[in-house]
Amino acid sequence: MAETKTITLELFRYHPETDSEPRFQSYEVPYDEDWVVLDAINWIKDYVDGSVTHRWSCRMGVCGSCGMMVNGEPKLTCAAFLKNYYPFPIKVEPLVNFPVERDLVVDMEGFMDKLQDVKPYIIRDDVNDTSEGEYLQTPAELAQYKQYSMCINCMLCYSACPVVGHEDDFLGPAALALGHRYNKDSRDQGQSERLEVMLRSEAMWGCTFVGECTVVCPKHVDPAGAIQQAKAMGAQEYFKRFVMPKGAGATKGAGA
Amino acid sequence: MSGGQYHRPHRRAWFMERPAYIRFMIREVTSFFMAAYLIVLIVTLAKVGVGEAAAAEWLQALSTTGWKVAHAVALAATVWHTITFFAAVPQAMPIYIGEDRLPDPIAKIVMGYGPWLTATAIILWGVLR
Repeated sequence: MAETKTITLELFRYHPETDSEPRFQSYEVPYDEDWVVLDAINWIKDYVDGSVTHRWSCRMGVCGSCGMMVNGEPKLTCAAFLKNYYPFPIKVEPLVNFPVERDLVVDMEGFMDKLQDVKPYIIRDDVNDTSEGEYLQTPAELAQYKQYSMCINCMLCYSACPVVGHEDDFLGPAALALGHRYNKDSRDQGQSERLEVMLRSEAMWGCTFVGECTVVCPKHVDPAGAIQQAKAMGAQEYFKRFVMPKGAGATKGAGA
Repeated sequence: MSGGQYHRPHRRAWFMERPAYIRFMIREVTSFFMAAYLIVLIVTLAKVGVGEAAAAEWLQALSTTGWKVAHAVALAATVWHTITFFAAVPQAMPIYIGEDRLPDPIAKIVMGYGPWLTATAIILWGVLR
């Protein structure tokens, strides 16, 4: 009878009620080349150790819940196949640059606050009644921001960015890309409000264009590109305010 | 017993953690060589402004092996910085034609290598004619 192939997973373990420091625990998992790292973690939780804590939902790269460090790289574990690591052990850790709540689960609160800071919604001076029809948009206008609207908030970009780990005031790749997404929306008139936040000290200027946020993004959002474009937009706004202080806030947005 | 969240220790040597971070640091360090060369260039212009003798004396000083090596290093650093700069141009300044974004290789030529080579050719023509 053929021996069942296995692969070793080394999981980061931290239970705040008993541990003062994290530790790694090894598990032997049946190897199936169709399995992803998330399948292996779920198998461990179901059949070996129910205390393993991790976050997941859709298993198809849509929800953005299962982001973890896989052998030091930020990955969606539902898209990281075991066959890409076999026969070597796989080390799984919670995303770096975030506080760890428990095992593989990180605290998202700071990230959610930063998303809120950039006002990720359409801002209008006038709110028309729906009876007056929709705010129309051409395909060319949609193309200006569509790429930046594909973010699934998986936070891989925050783990790939060295600035996030060193500068608390930096809003981070996903939040800035989202802010830029609305600044580029032809229906929006809130560019000045958003730039007010983004122009704060290190909020946006902290980005040194390392570019790894774009490399690890599973949805090809290109946050690094969005931030550089937002910087150019912010610089224009800054000089407008410098030259015409009384006209500050005059820039309404892509659609104004 | 801890009872709270775990915060990873601050990573001082973060730039050694990934090859991409090392490439980033090399890109940043090339700026210093470019800045140093600009200072040499400004001094050269100042010497030319002073007069022919001062310029000749300065150029003579620059002809030592040490200065030649420094110039070669500055050239290599500048070329590398330029390549990385042009690689970033399509991300920072995407060009749309209608709803289609200009492909990155073409954008690099249109906004980077094209103007660079054109300017270089014009300067060479001005100097060599």
